[in-house]
Amino acid sequence: MSLSGLEGRRVIVCCGSGGVGKTTISAGIALALANRGARVAVVTIDPARRLAAALGLAELGDDPRQVPIGPTGGSGELWALQLDAKATFDRLVCRHAPTPEAAERILANRIYAHLSGAVAGSQEYMAVERLNELTDDPRFEVVVLDTPPAQNALDFLDAPTRITHFIEGKSLRMLLSPGAAAGNLGWRMLHAGSSTVFSILERVTGAQLLRDLSEFLGAFDGMYTGFSERAERVRTLLHSPRAAFVVVSSADDEPVREAVMLVERLTADGYPLGPAVMNRIRPRADLPPPPRHALVEALAGAGATHADDLADRTLAQLADDEARARRDHDACTRLARLLGDREPVQVPDFADEPVEIAGLEHVADALAR
Amino acid sequence: MSAPGLFDRRLIFVLGKGGVGKSVVAATLGTAWARAGKRVVIAEVADQHRLSDLFANREETRNTPTELAPNLFGFSVDVDKSTEDYLAAHIRVRPLVDLLVRSRTFHNFAAAAPGLPELVTLGKVWELAMAVDGGRPVWDKVIVDCPATGHGIALLQTAGNVSELAAQGPVRDQAHRIEEVVKHPAATGIAIVARPEELPVTEAIDAAAALRADGFPVAATIMNGMTPRRFWAEDASVLGRVPGGDPTITAAVRSALRADHHARIEQAHLDELAAGTGTTPMVLPDLGPVVIAQSELALLADALDGAPRSLRPVGHP
Repeated sequence: MSLSGLEGRRVIVCCGSGGVGKTTISAGIALALANRGARVAVVTIDPARRLAAALGLAELGDDPRQVPIGPTGGSGELWALQLDAKATFDRLVCRHAPTPEAAERILANRIYAHLSGAVAGSQEYMAVERLNELTDDPRFEVVVLDTPPAQNALDFLDAPTRITHFIEGKSLRMLLSPGAAAGNLGWRMLHAGSSTVFSILERVTGAQLLRDLSEFLGAFDGMYTGFSERAERVRTLLHSPRAAFVVVSSADDEPVREAVMLVERLTADGYPLGPAVMNRIRPRADLPPPPRHALVEALAGAGATHADDLADRTLAQLADDEARARRDHDACTRLARLLGDREPVQVPDFADEPVEIAGLEHVADALAR
Repeated sequence: MSAPGLFDRRLIFVLGKGGVGKSVVAATLGTAWARAGKRVVIAEVADQHRLSDLFANREETRNTPTELAPNLFGFSVDVDKSTEDYLAAHIRVRPLVDLLVRSRTFHNFAAAAPGLPELVTLGKVWELAMAVDGGRPVWDKVIVDCPATGHGIALLQTAGNVSELAAQGPVRDQAHRIEEVVKHPAATGIAIVARPEELPVTEAIDAAAALRADGFPVAATIMNGMTPRRFWAEDASVLGRVPGGDPTITAAVRSALRADHHARIEQAHLDELAAGTGTTPMVLPDLGPVVIAQSELALLADALDGAPRSLRPVGHP
C-alpha cells in the first residue's frame, strides 16, 4: 500500500461484509497513521469487548477518548469513540432546533423516540452525521470510520438522503396536500384530514398515528435546511480526494463477492477508492512436508505412544493448512485482478484475535508494510 | 432430529452477527426438516438472495414460494409488493390502493417511515406461518433468515413498537396479532447463530438477553463452523517435546500445535456461548475451504441429526 495511499486523507471509510474484521482493520489503520505522527480518531461500531477495553471504551464512550499508545516519533495521537446513534441524533436536534422548547418537543415525540432509537436506518445516518462533527473538530487530522453492519454494506451512504427526505416531509407534504410547497407543515397536515389520500391512509393507520406523525414533522419545521445542508456536506466530502474508501474482505467466497460489488458501486458513484485489505490471510508454506518416517521417529523420540497415528494427523493438518493458504492466496489474486491488478494489502491470520493494543500493533505493521 | 428446542415450533427466526453463516444454518435446518418429511419454507428478507446461490436455483422468487429441493421451498420477501398486498387487504377498494401505490411520494414515504418495511416483512412471514389449506397448515416449518443482529432484533421488535405507536386502527390490530405469534413460545422459536470467535459469541449472548428481556422465545443456539478436533492434550505435550533441528519437522509440529491452540480457543467460545445463553448449542462443523452447495448442506444436516461422523477431513475435497 500501503498506507501511502491513505496519507493526507481527512476521512477513511472502512467497508465490507459482516464478519471480515472491519472494526479491527479500522483500529489498525488508525493506529498505523497515529504511529506516523497523525492525530487520528477512529469511530467504532460495536467493537469486541476486549478491543473496546483496549481502546478505553469500556463504558461505551460516545465522546472521543485518547488511547495510550507507544512512542509515535512525533505528534501522533490515537483517539477512539463508539457510535451512539441516539446521542448523536439528540445533539443534532438540540443544535438545529430554533428554540429550546422546539427541541424539547421533538425529543418528547413518540415517533422521534422510535426513529432515533431504531437500529435500522438511524445508525447508518448517525454514522455519517458523526463524521460531520468529527471532521469539524480541530483535535483530529484524520477520522477513520468503521461502517455499521447492514444488509448492504453501503446502506449508510444512502441513509442521509433517505432520512432527510423523510424528515423534510417532502413526500408526505405532497401526499397530503399536493399544492403545498411551503408553509407551516404541521398546521397544513393537521388540517389536511379531508384530503383523499390522507383519509385512505388514516383507514389503515388510525387517526392517532397520523396525528403524531404530523406533529413530529411539524416540530422539524424550519430545521430542514440544516439537516439537508449537513447531508450535502458529507456527500461532498466523501466524494472528494480528501476521503478514501478501504474495502475490507476475508478470503471467504461471500465476502470477496461483496468486496467486488462494493468496489464497482463505489467506482460507479465516484467515491475515491483507497487500497483493498484482505484480512486473516494464511501464508503459504515455504518448506515441503517432512518425510513421514522422520516425523514418526521424532514423535516417538518425544514420547508419543502412537507415533504413527500422531504423525498422520500432523501431516493431515499440514496439508489442510496448505489448502487454506492456497485458497487465501487465490482469493487475493482474484481480488487483485478484479481491482485492475492493484494488489490488496494482506493482513495475516494471527494465532490470537488482535483485540489488544499489542495485537493491533501487529495489524498496523502489516498494513504499513 | 437433534434440534429439540426448535422441534415443535412452526416459525423459526435464524438470527446472528453478519458473516456467521445464518443463511447456511437456515438452509441446513430446512434440509434436515425437509428430509424428515416436513413441508418447509425458508423466507429471505431485506433483499438477500443467498438461497438461490446455495441451491443453484436460477429462478427469482419474489413473494412466491419456489421449490429448492423436495419439500423445501424458498420465499424472498419483496417489501414493495408486500406493502401493496397489505394496503389492498386493509383498504379493499382497488382504485384507492392503486392511487396510493402508484404515487412516487408514497414510495419515498414508505421506504423511510420508521418500521414500515420491517412491519410489512414480518407481516408476510406471519402470513406464511398462519396459512391454512383444507384445515391444515400449509407449512410445517417457516424458517426466517434474518438480517444481521441489530437489524434482526429490530425486525422482531417492530410489531410491538407499531402496536404501541398506533393506539388504534387496523395497523395496530394486525401488529398486535403478529406480536402475539412471534412472542408465543409454542409457535415461535428464535435460533441464534454464532461462530467460534469472540465478537459473534458476545453478540449472540447479548442478543439472547435482549430478546428474552423483551419476551421473545429464544429456543436454541447454533455454533457454526467449529473446526473438527484433531489433537488432544496428550498430543500437545508430545509435540511440545519434539526437539528442533530439522526445519520441516519443526514446521509440521508448529502447524499441529497451532491447530490445537485454535481448537482450545474455539472450545472456550463454545463453552462461553452455552454459559452465556443458558442453552446447549448445536454444533455445525467447519467444512474447510469449500463453496457450500446442496451436498455440503446435506453433510451439515447429517451433523445436525447427530449422524456418525460422515464428514470428510477438513481441506480434503
